[in-house]
Amino acid sequence: MAEVEETLKRIQGQKGVQGIIIVNSEGIPIKTTLDYPSTVQYAGLIQQLVMMARSTVREIDPQNDLTFLRVRSKKNEIMIAPDKDYFLIVIQNPSD
Amino acid sequence: MQNTKMYTPAKQTKKTTGVLNNSSPRSMNNSVSGVPSSILVGGRNSILKRLERGHNRTPRKTARMLGSDGKEINPLAMFQAELGVVPSSAGRFFLGETFFSSGSDHMKSTSSFTVHSSSSFVGSSLQSNMSAIASLTNESEDSSQKLDIPINPPEVLKENDNIEQTVTEEMLDEVAEICLTETDTISLLDIPSSIFVTEDADDAGVIKEKNNQYAELCKNRIGNDNYLEESAQTFSGAPKDKHTQSDKIAKEDKGMIATTWDIYDSFFDQNKSPDNDKDDYTESSVGTSKDQEKSGEKSGSSSSYTVATDSTDRGSLFELEMCGRSLNTELDPQLILSESFRHSLFVMERIVVGKIFQPKLAAYRQLPILKDPDSTAKPGTEEQSEEGEESASSPSLEYLWAFSCELTKGCNITSMAWNKINPNILAVAYGDFDLSNCKPSLICCWSLKNPMWPERVFHCDSWVTSLDFSAINPSQLAVGMYDGTLAIYDVQRQNNNARIADSSKCSERHLHPVWQVNWIKEETLFLREGGAEALISVSADGRITMWSLLNNGLGGRDLMELKSTQNTKKKRKAAGTKTKTECFLSVLTRGLCLDIHPTDSCIYLVGTSEGLIHKCSLSNSQNVLETYQKDLCPVNHIEWSPFSSDVFLSCSSDQIQLWKQDYFTPVFSFTSTQEVVKTIRWSPNWPTIFAAIIGRQLEIWDLDSNILAPTIVHHAAPGVKLMSLLFTTGTDCVFLGDSDGQITVYQLKNLSVGKGEKVETLDDVIQHI
Repeated sequence: MAEVEETLKRIQGQKGVQGIIIVNSEGIPIKTTLDYPSTVQYAGLIQQLVMMARSTVREIDPQNDLTFLRVRSKKNEIMIAPDKDYFLIVIQNPSD
Repeated sequence: MQNTKMYTPAKQTKKTTGVLNNSSPRSMNNSVSGVPSSILVGGRNSILKRLERGHNRTPRKTARMLGSDGKEINPLAMFQAELGVVPSSAGRFFLGETFFSSGSDHMKSTSSFTVHSSSSFVGSSLQSNMSAIASLTNESEDSSQKLDIPINPPEVLKENDNIEQTVTEEMLDEVAEICLTETDTISLLDIPSSIFVTEDADDAGVIKEKNNQYAELCKNRIGNDNYLEESAQTFSGAPKDKHTQSDKIAKEDKGMIATTWDIYDSFFDQNKSPDNDKDDYTESSVGTSKDQEKSGEKSGSSSSYTVATDSTDRGSLFELEMCGRSLNTELDPQLILSESFRHSLFVMERIVVGKIFQPKLAAYRQLPILKDPDSTAKPGTEEQSEEGEESASSPSLEYLWAFSCELTKGCNITSMAWNKINPNILAVAYGDFDLSNCKPSLICCWSLKNPMWPERVFHCDSWVTSLDFSAINPSQLAVGMYDGTLAIYDVQRQNNNARIADSSKCSERHLHPVWQVNWIKEETLFLREGGAEALISVSADGRITMWSLLNNGLGGRDLMELKSTQNTKKKRKAAGTKTKTECFLSVLTRGLCLDIHPTDSCIYLVGTSEGLIHKCSLSNSQNVLETYQKDLCPVNHIEWSPFSSDVFLSCSSDQIQLWKQDYFTPVFSFTSTQEVVKTIRWSPNWPTIFAAIIGRQLEIWDLDSNILAPTIVHHAAPGVKLMSLLFTTGTDCVFLGDSDGQITVYQLKNLSVGKGEKVETLDDVIQHI
């Protein structure tokens, strides 16, 4: 448990990381470093996106599965590690 | 009325001979069964008219359906409306009802006929019809016994259709003869027996016999006195309306998309569920069990939130306020501690860090550096870097990144080793340089993918002096320590049980610091047990020991004892030795370094603290094969050239010497500064390049370009001593470990070296020296 906390702290401390959100399988954020409204917004939207992405991948080959998703935008990059029980979302600014 | 006959003839031919007064008790043969009797009157009449065989004058064109036997099987209509008889149809109904109550069929039939005859009264009013019918009825009272109705419908029809006549009293008083006969039996439906009897069935004969008997029976029935035709009538009950009321059926729309993976999942689960002990049913039960789990998770959710809030005391992460919603107790720790979550975190960390270090790592791996399109780099710095690049056409080191973390801050780096199989893994030993007091030291395994945090951290009891990764079991790391212990760590395991073997309980253990450990591939020598790799260690107690990994630890056996030379030279009684310097070895001297020949793994070199370099063989444990000596300074490091098999480099306190195997004096000595040369390394990529740590600087020598001075000189940062050096295979980078706990990666730039002609280049260079 402590190791997990430490890792989360390290990720949070990396250069450019804006926030980390951990969302459970029902879409409820269980840990976050952002403020509540943004967190809820991210959680809801990203859950839909991940479902769609996973559906796409599995539709092509049902034995395949989504392991990681990166959404690169102008201002930042959202990295999502999906699983059947949770999502781990990290938002990072691009490296300068 | 229903006829008892099975066959329902839709068509009948009725002979028109017959007498009204015929009172045979036979029942009506004109079977128009199947028609409700109340409507029968008119209906039958019309049918009688219409279905006359051979007469095509149907007043109404109906579609004629022919059965399989060619007979017409028009379904009987409930009510026929016909030209010319429409006005009287209402009357017919009325009439039908009247006569139905009487219950006498023939009465009806007669009356139907009478009605029919009155149908000629086209345009006659209902009233007149009624009166006419009534009068006719009265007339036909006496003919109540009449059964057969003589009909002459077509003729009457003709007359009716063409001529309008008025009914006169005389016409009504006429006696009309009606004759009814029965048509032949028309088979409408004949379903043959569907029990197909195979010829070779046991009772085929019996069945056939029975079939024949039955056929005979049917034939005999016609005209047989035993068979009597009877009609029967069923009562059709009066319908009654009954209202019921039910709850409104709630409807719900549900949409579903059957995706390929959904189908695959369901199918897969269905196949899996019989194997599962819990679910013996199909996927429906699997689905319900999942739901139960889910609800179980939901119900217990509140306590996990409390657990989460407790952790705010640690101040690690900001906790979310989830008011009004119960969270899961069991879910949060389960989730956080689950393997997949850790893996996700691990990957995520690497990716996050990878983003930060992407340009550097790309440079390291000699990939094109992707410029971040959205990065907000200032144009000023860009120009500066461009200028810098242009001006640096001379060989130089470019700083890429540094491995460092808090854990290792301020520690001395004593040794570094690459993993032989995975080129991304680097093992580094940290320890405090305190010879008097053996403080615990760290071994960290770093991965290039994450320069911010080591992948593995192991704690050691004593100061680690040397590391080497095994080639055959790439997760085994051999560690030599200052207190003489040799240990093997399995880097795949976590910290606690990573040390899988050590030599502390061995009888052959070293009592003095182990200065170097090397794995050696063993093909020729017989090992006690285990695979084809053994460990060789050289220690300050003068022994070179070979260790092998046994079930219960390490087992060692001495290979060689390094005996010190005396000043007096005495003759050796060795057979076949080629030593030119004869020496008498007595006291053991400290061995400082070791290197195994790259191609011939039986030969190895040992450097001692007395300045001797011995070339030894694994097979010969008594004598050294050769000895090289330049001076009396301790040899700090020896390395064979990876390209040329008889060239090796050695370094001592102030000089670097290049030796060739058969020459007992160094081919060349390199000096730059008068400081202690800590270590030297050949570059694995180019034959003529080696690096050395001399004093406080790192020197890169290129024998091809300049043998008198180093090509690149890099000074350490002030206050930091350079401790350790490693080249990387495949790329032109150098790893430098310093006393501050940082491993800095430099890229060698602009070295004018050719990639080809490896061995020859070095040999040429040597020859030219």
